[in-house]
Amino acid sequence: MKDTVLLLAMNGLIWGLIIALIALGLSVIFGLLDIINIAHGDFFMVGTVLAWFSLSVTGDFWIGFVAAPLIGFILGAIIQRLVIQPIHGVAALSIVATFGLSLILQEVVRITFGATPHRILAPIQGTVPLFGVEYDIYRLLAALVALLALAGFFLFLQYTKLGIWMRAVRHDREIAVAMGIPAKRVYVLTFGIGFALAAFGGAVAAPITTVDFRGGVDVLPFCFMAVIIGGLGNLPGTVAAAVLLAFLEGLIQSVADPTAARISSLVLMSAVLLLRPQGLFKGFTR
Amino acid sequence: MSRRPLEIGLAAAGATFLIAVPWLIPALIDTFWVSIITEILIWSLFASSVNLLFGYVGLLSFGQALYFGFGMYGTALGIDHLGLSFWPAFGLGIVSAMAMALVSGVFAVRLTWHYFAIITVVFSLIFYFLAVSMKPLTGGDDGINFALPPVFKFGGKAFGLVDPTFQYFFVLVVVSLCLFLMHRVINSTLGRGFLAIRDNDLRASLIGLNVYVLRLIAFVMAGFLAGVSGALFAFFGRYASASYMFYQVSGEAVVWTIVGGAGTLFGPLVGTALFIVIREIVSSHWEHHSLLVGLLAILAVIFAPKGIVGLWNGWVTRLDERHAAALASPRLMLQADP
Repeated sequence: MKDTVLLLAMNGLIWGLIIALIALGLSVIFGLLDIINIAHGDFFMVGTVLAWFSLSVTGDFWIGFVAAPLIGFILGAIIQRLVIQPIHGVAALSIVATFGLSLILQEVVRITFGATPHRILAPIQGTVPLFGVEYDIYRLLAALVALLALAGFFLFLQYTKLGIWMRAVRHDREIAVAMGIPAKRVYVLTFGIGFALAAFGGAVAAPITTVDFRGGVDVLPFCFMAVIIGGLGNLPGTVAAAVLLAFLEGLIQSVADPTAARISSLVLMSAVLLLRPQGLFKGFTR
Repeated sequence: MSRRPLEIGLAAAGATFLIAVPWLIPALIDTFWVSIITEILIWSLFASSVNLLFGYVGLLSFGQALYFGFGMYGTALGIDHLGLSFWPAFGLGIVSAMAMALVSGVFAVRLTWHYFAIITVVFSLIFYFLAVSMKPLTGGDDGINFALPPVFKFGGKAFGLVDPTFQYFFVLVVVSLCLFLMHRVINSTLGRGFLAIRDNDLRASLIGLNVYVLRLIAFVMAGFLAGVSGALFAFFGRYASASYMFYQVSGEAVVWTIVGGAGTLFGPLVGTALFIVIREIVSSHWEHHSLLVGLLAILAVIFAPKGIVGLWNGWVTRLDERHAAALASPRLMLQADP
């Protein structure tokens, strides 16, 4: 019993770190562009599919870790330019546009990849003993990679020119433009980065979940939950909320079925929305 | 041509078409299309519930499928488990949807905008997962089937929805009544209050409107519309399923409403008809019809951000102004001439 609790809690923690990557992409897009991105789950799904393709084409799983975010970034930039820019950040329209985008992405994957789900074998097999449980090496590695990517993203946001531009445009668009920051280009790049984060999360998660053209549908509500509970636009809060939620769901799953776990996190989220709409962590971060 | 005759003509043509459907469509295309048009009417009523909240009160609900599902299950369980006849089951469906809307609305309308959109989808997800897990009662994703009771008996003869023509007219009458009711509400004092809140909720509260209560009333009304459409759909399909409570169903209604034209009475009907007709025509020839649907949704928001009916209204208004200008200019010249 104690072993299952530990195992599920660990699984939850690692899944939470991957979800944090995806939710971070959602939060960046939402915070900067005011776009409610219904297609974000599908950005993740595209990442898993890219991992599958790069494995089957090159025979090397690790190439997917580079290819998925890179292709995701390019796709994201193109999508922003073609679809998101013309709607001028009107949130209601963004829902319709990204809903259409979601249909298109799912259908293109169904045409190219097929409708049957596939599994990717983890590139590293084997387990290590951890707190008395035999644990998958790949899952530990995935957690480490996700952590590194999260740290890398925050460093990027803090210290690079583009990162500073992104924060400036989010803070006050008018002044940022007056100071000569090319806001339009920042939007294009931000959407690209948002897609890249989700696609990278997909590539990392591909051996843990299944690769399926509908794989994003379940991930989307979870990411939104993380973004809301963490506080809209609060990036560290989003990460903390994602990890916390997945960890809690893992814990609850050890005593009840997954549906009950999902319901309890949804109830938790309603409570947060009603009692602390600024998010759980306002006052702790920033 | 000026605005009013043009629109009255169009409305008359539309009404004539809708009444003639059961004879016109089988003669022109196929009997199968009568049931498609029935389905369009039901779904457009569902889209109208999104429209009432978003187009007239400014609240974007992403969880109307919850009330659709309650209407559906209330009706189906009423017939299948409680052995109710047609009208009590219909009533049970509507009342359970409205009760659910009242309970969730008490919490949801405290929030606005993004938060409102998220909490409505969260509520609908909670009950979706509950419905999926309570398989003995709800049948989960597979749903439950039931046998249709007759609508009414007249002179020893039973009239039921088994007859597609009767079913079509039953749906047409119910949907028209609901839309008429909505039209009356929007043009009442209550409706003016809705519009005031949509345009500026702070000002609305400053002139003495109780914003919270008005939003709650609108939310329960939207629950009513969604509940009626859910009950109708249960009768139409003779079954209820948890899959209709998923957030994608709510999302489709939002898309139909915005593409058709939010804040207009017939926008949701136009949007729903467009998407369902395309789905039916294209899906029989081409497996990947969602590509077209997705593309259409994107093109619609880029080129017609006010929706198809909004585009039409803009066009007619311009025509009107040109007409008025043409009438006004000679008179001006006469006056200038002594």
